[in-house]
Amino acid sequence: MFADRRIGLMLMMPAMFFVGIAFLLPVLILLAEGLRTSEGWSLARYTSFFSDSLSQEVMLRTLRLGFGVTLASAIIGYGVALTIANASPLTRSRMTALFILPLMISPVARTYAWIVLLGRTGLINKVLIGIGLTEEPLRLLFSETAVFIGLLQLFLPLMVLSLTSALENLPSDIIPAARILGANWLTIFFRLILPLTREGLIIGGTLVFTGAVTAYITPAVLGGSKVLMLETLLYQRISVANDVATASVIAAILIGMSIVTHSLIRRLTSGKRSS
Amino acid sequence: MSNKLTASLLTAAMSAGLMISLNSSAALAQQATLVVSNFAIAQDLMRKDLYAPFEAKCNCKIVVDAGNAADRLAKLEARKGNPEADIAVLADFTALEAARKDLIEPIDTSKLSNFNKLYDFAKDPIGKNYGVGYTFYATSIIYRKDKIDVTSWADLWSPKLKNRLALPNITTTQAPLLLFMVEQALNGKTPDFAASIDKIGSIKGDVVTFYERAAQLTQLFQQDEIYATVTGRYNWPLITKLNMPIAWATPKEGLTGGLNVLTVVKGSKNKELAYALINEWLSTDAQTRIANDLVDSPANREVKLAPEIADQLSYGEDVAKSLKVIPPEQVLANRDAWIAGWNAKIAR
Repeated sequence: MFADRRIGLMLMMPAMFFVGIAFLLPVLILLAEGLRTSEGWSLARYTSFFSDSLSQEVMLRTLRLGFGVTLASAIIGYGVALTIANASPLTRSRMTALFILPLMISPVARTYAWIVLLGRTGLINKVLIGIGLTEEPLRLLFSETAVFIGLLQLFLPLMVLSLTSALENLPSDIIPAARILGANWLTIFFRLILPLTREGLIIGGTLVFTGAVTAYITPAVLGGSKVLMLETLLYQRISVANDVATASVIAAILIGMSIVTHSLIRRLTSGKRSS
Repeated sequence: MSNKLTASLLTAAMSAGLMISLNSSAALAQQATLVVSNFAIAQDLMRKDLYAPFEAKCNCKIVVDAGNAADRLAKLEARKGNPEADIAVLADFTALEAARKDLIEPIDTSKLSNFNKLYDFAKDPIGKNYGVGYTFYATSIIYRKDKIDVTSWADLWSPKLKNRLALPNITTTQAPLLLFMVEQALNGKTPDFAASIDKIGSIKGDVVTFYERAAQLTQLFQQDEIYATVTGRYNWPLITKLNMPIAWATPKEGLTGGLNVLTVVKGSKNKELAYALINEWLSTDAQTRIANDLVDSPANREVKLAPEIADQLSYGEDVAKSLKVIPPEQVLANRDAWIAGWNAKIAR
């Protein structure tokens, strides 16, 4: 675009300067904080964090919930996105609007709504008792299930949006063509739809996973101290124990998790294409 | 001529400028700023009941640096030697920690005319006059009296409370108090609360949640999630507003509680003002106003409260004497062990 590359570089400078000062530098300081001890540089904080049974459990739970929510939102998301993509333009825009609407409501309000719904006197327990599935109201709040439901509702729209836009770019005649050639729906999904919408799945999956493992309000309110996730543990370390070093270790782990998951989803979906 | 004129004009301007700056610095000196490091709770009422009346008398300005204890202690440490705060309001054991870190200084109680009006336990709770107690609170079990009856701390693991009990998390000031009383109920004797941590660990599956914010409790009672919890008396006004059949237990092992103290930050530049505010804080008038707004229970024994107000607070020498309080030294010596034990057996 520019005859002289230096012009392009100069145009980039303000943004690069801002990212460097306001993002990269603080992140480096944060990462360094976790590696610095009174005796110099060492991995001691990481080894003590990973050997602590509580942090192991919290980390496993964070991974479990992160992957669970990502998988569930991909499964539900494909169903919804396929319906939206095949609908008439008017229905399509209406349905998309319906899915975007929750994103405009504060996550705090949405999470508190789940307290009312999941409580012992809440709607879900009333329905369960009403249809005779249980006699006594179930204890749903402050459980991993509650956090899972809350996170799924919070991040499903992101997956639906990414998948819908990917599906809209799918050539409209490839599915009928595959059907004519005798492919069943499973083959069509795994051999055609999944590989062709893989970019959407990667974007949606990364957004949902990163969102789920770094969400604070939902695990704090629906899980409480019995269902700690890395993010709530981080907050506890900072605000209660004033333990910045461990907090920076947790922050680094969260960054690492998001990067690894992003490349993992990328690899998994590209593996499907070559098979 | 014109040079002379310019010079004299300049001199005049300069001296006028000097005068202005002198005046403003004199005004600034008159308007001293006293910084109080305090808990964030009910600061609007504290302004009405204490800070504003004091400002009217002292021609000074009170700035409150509000926050949780850990944050504020860290701030005091960061500004050691050149403190921003003049007065630090702390729990007794936090004050002891601050004293050991040389962040606060002993108070010359002879300069406090209201000192002798305090209950004896509030006069020198952490030793060497490092802090004066200005309020205390009782902690007990509160419970739905239509569902169960609580007469002992051991009722916390009664089958009736299975899946209906919320307990304070270790991150709150209430958790050590809970362990302290459970230890008494179990006849445990160790200061690291090993027996009570084991006991709470064995019922953790039946505990609905380990709460971190007391505001959560009203919601848990309201939604029928819990029938009982352990909390400080300062939450009682909030609970009674629910209009539910909830009672304050008097367990046979006794009540526990805590004491908060006023301390003077070492190196404070406004020591005289700091003493004046502390004296005002302990005065019968201020303590009565603060109590009537249900902010803090009085530590001044001359405060007389109407029964309906007293009922909402931890009031009177009898209540104060019946409290079993964890010695601040024990808190500091064992806090890490409690947290480690809790994380290993309860948080997991």
